[in-house]
Amino acid sequence: MIEVKEIKKRFGRKKVLEGVSFDAKKGEITCLIGINGVGKTTVLNAIMNLTPLNSGQILIDGERINKNSYEKITFIPDAVTMLPRMKVADAIQFMRDFYQSWNDERASELLEFFRLNEEDRISDLSKGNAAKVNLLLGLALDVDYLLMDEPFSGIDIFSREQIAEVFTSHLVEDRGVIITTHEINDIEHLIDKVILLDNGNVLKDFRTEVMRAEEGKSVVDVLREVYKK
Amino acid sequence: MKHYLKLVNFELGRFIKVYLVLIAITIISQIAGIIVHSNNFVGRANESMTTMEQFAAQNGTLMMSDFMLTLWFLGPIALCIAALIFYCFLIWYRDWFGKNTFVYRLLMLPTARLNILLAKASAVFLMVLGLVSLQLVLLIAEQALLQTIVPDVLRTDMSIAEMGNRTGFLQVLIPESFTGFLSNYGIGFMMVFILFTAILFERSYRWKGILLGAVYAALAVTVFLLPLIIQLILGMNYLYPMEVFLAMLTLGILVTGTSIWLSHYLLNRKVTV
Repeated sequence: MIEVKEIKKRFGRKKVLEGVSFDAKKGEITCLIGINGVGKTTVLNAIMNLTPLNSGQILIDGERINKNSYEKITFIPDAVTMLPRMKVADAIQFMRDFYQSWNDERASELLEFFRLNEEDRISDLSKGNAAKVNLLLGLALDVDYLLMDEPFSGIDIFSREQIAEVFTSHLVEDRGVIITTHEINDIEHLIDKVILLDNGNVLKDFRTEVMRAEEGKSVVDVLREVYKK
Repeated sequence: MKHYLKLVNFELGRFIKVYLVLIAITIISQIAGIIVHSNNFVGRANESMTTMEQFAAQNGTLMMSDFMLTLWFLGPIALCIAALIFYCFLIWYRDWFGKNTFVYRLLMLPTARLNILLAKASAVFLMVLGLVSLQLVLLIAEQALLQTIVPDVLRTDMSIAEMGNRTGFLQVLIPESFTGFLSNYGIGFMMVFILFTAILFERSYRWKGILLGAVYAALAVTVFLLPLIIQLILGMNYLYPMEVFLAMLTLGILVTGTSIWLSHYLLNRKVTV
């Protein structure tokens, strides 16, 4: 389980996170939602120790993140992270070289699923294909937790559908996923839990199933309700 | 260790094209230079109305050390030094500001972040050593070329050590003794680690980090030079030369160790993507 406990983060004088707490379990998809600038990406960066916190604690299966944690948790950021001159095959080789959890079979399956060409250079990829390569590099690791930052941002509807399909496949099954997205419609039916961030705080934290069953509201309904106020 | 070696290999691969260009420029410039310089000298001797012996007596003989003060020789060395200093900054900043944010990948590798620092420093060090080795080979080749072009009476042959003694700066790059090599390159390596720490201060604290980095660099250099500063203040004979050497060696190790520890701390706890 990923436990985020009372994390606070300031950038200069600007308070971005003011005591955010939540947890995300294996086998569940947790969605961090909020308008731009509420600190969704900062939370993901903090979980991966890519940005220092002012206070608070983050535990992954009861441990603070360390070098071994990167074999069981991975982050798929909203940016291409491999060098532009690399071919897709080079990027795969890089991952194979460094990660014990790299799964070649799964990588081949994903290459086929996304119809990517190993000989293509990263710099020549369209935004959609670059996002798919990013996804491939994260999903081909046999990790317990996946963090995804805006995987649908700026890509065409067909690529979005293809990426959304991943969430219903065995590629994500049994893993704990924390995702940030604005394109909630694409994956609303797949989300188990929603963390609604606003002004650096958790405004609402609910299980989608319970919300649907008890209040008859979808995630989008809750969002409308919150932001209309 | 395996990850460290892979990272060194990866860092070298990222700069290899520029590095090969630097090597090519050095070879072409220095070989072309020795040919042009030697031929000019022989040409002047031939054009003079005296015998070669008289020309040599009047103008002196041609030595490698003369050629080593020309732009043909010094130009590519200066270019390589400038490129490697620039590379010390580039090796970090390209990971943040390059077209793609590669620093995400580096910091999420399942290896100690210290390996990233050590791999980058090793890449710089290997490139420096590579260029110095090339220069040594080139000096021998250039001397051989000079001997082919310039007749015996018009030239004075020199050993590498003599070339160093005559030019001074070459003694820094290619010291005569192993102790000299260790101290010169040790100081160079220490400076690289101080610079890397300053860069990591900047990457951790941004604007404030520039100041922190500059203060740290100034402090580290001052601590290292403390024995010399004491000598200056209390008189040049206050410490024996061996005492100065041992004190600087100890302080150098201390400063390098502190820089590595600080960099490790910043990479683990403070650096921001």
